[in-house]
Amino acid sequence: MAYSFDFAAVLEYREVLLAGTLRTLALTATGTVFGLAIGVLGAVSRAWRIAPYDKVFAVYVEAVRNTPFLVQLFFIFFGLPSLGVQINEWQAAILAMVINLGAYTTEIIRAGIEATPRGQIEAAQSLAMTRAQIFRQVVLPPALRKVWPAICSQVVIVMLGSSVCSQIAAEELTFAANFIQSRNFRAFETYFIVTAMYFVLALLVRQIMIRGGRRLLGGRRA
Amino acid sequence: MNLVRIDGLHKHFGSNHVLKGIDLRIKQGEVVALIGRSGSGKSTLLRSINGLESFEDGLVEVDGERLHAGQTNLRELRQKVGMVFQQFNLFPHLSVGENVMLAPQVVKKTPRGECETIARSVLDKVGLSEKYDAYPDQLSGGQQQRVAIARALAMQPRVLLCDEITSALDPELVNEVLAVVKTLAAEGMTLIMVTHEMRFAREVGDRLVFMHEGRIHESGTPAELFAHPKTPELANFIGSIN
Repeated sequence: MAYSFDFAAVLEYREVLLAGTLRTLALTATGTVFGLAIGVLGAVSRAWRIAPYDKVFAVYVEAVRNTPFLVQLFFIFFGLPSLGVQINEWQAAILAMVINLGAYTTEIIRAGIEATPRGQIEAAQSLAMTRAQIFRQVVLPPALRKVWPAICSQVVIVMLGSSVCSQIAAEELTFAANFIQSRNFRAFETYFIVTAMYFVLALLVRQIMIRGGRRLLGGRRA
Repeated sequence: MNLVRIDGLHKHFGSNHVLKGIDLRIKQGEVVALIGRSGSGKSTLLRSINGLESFEDGLVEVDGERLHAGQTNLRELRQKVGMVFQQFNLFPHLSVGENVMLAPQVVKKTPRGECETIARSVLDKVGLSEKYDAYPDQLSGGQQQRVAIARALAMQPRVLLCDEITSALDPELVNEVLAVVKTLAAEGMTLIMVTHEMRFAREVGDRLVFMHEGRIHESGTPAELFAHPKTPELANFIGSIN
């Protein structure tokens, strides 16, 4: 093998890598919080057929699930300014991630809501609870617990997918990699390191999500 | 004074006419057992009393709260009517104490400290105060059902509906639940129950209501009904369960 590795050429840029990593995490965290909020609203609208929102969310979910993330990102980044909405690359990236995750989690959380035994809802009704109280207190916590592993996976998928945000010059981790290899011409080493970083980040984010879920969704501790 | 009044109740499931004009009066403190074959409409009738089933015609009134056909605002009525189900239906993510406290807290907005006092006292009544911090899946069926009774009692209902509350229990667990119901009856709680426990219905019931094909076919004291059934359907039913 004639190729000689030079990782030092990449590590010179560790501050760029660190900044990119933090931005990727920030994008993911923001996308997760707002995406989950949309997912919960979408899921209850669809599962309980709350008109007209159930139809609105159905169209939204299909639109997002059947188009590529990169195209969604371009649609927002180039489309909104044409409609007169000024938007920078970060706003576009966050918006695209929220919209994307919101659609997928709508379907995931809906499955959890629909798995609620009918009898538990009737018990809550007979205790004179309102629909909103029943949803908040009786339906949502076990539903989220049931589908939490699927949500964690989806968040990791979206975090990895956020690498395409480099295409609109959002300076996240993949953007950092492109920048570094264009400076040091060490593409292989750069992407080798960045790949490993994504791998570690994915494991990390999944662990944080699983632990956070256990704490937040509480309930029975075995 | 009638606590529960049901007038001319009609209910269809599609083309199936399941309640064909039910009239029933229940006094404060009375214990009424609805008996009859499956499909006779007794569970549907019970579930109409707190609006879990809608009906097309007639009227339900509990302690002055009226419920007309097609009405959907049921919160006032439901605060006066407790219900216990065949499948317990405890909330699995909440501890026993939290299960019992939930409704007083969110529906009646009772302060947390007071809710805990209520929860402990109703759990004590069903003999489960030591299970306050347990979760439903750590309890036996009989214990779960007693928690479900406590949960209903925490709302201080005027009447308690029991829908085949021992049918899902192993035989050896039936008695601990019936003992609780018996205590409630002795304390003057108004009870309406659908049950297949004939011996229990006979022992605790002030009145039996025999339903047949969507109508109240016969009703009276347990002694009357069992000794002198007036209709062949009831005689048949009594024969079939002995």
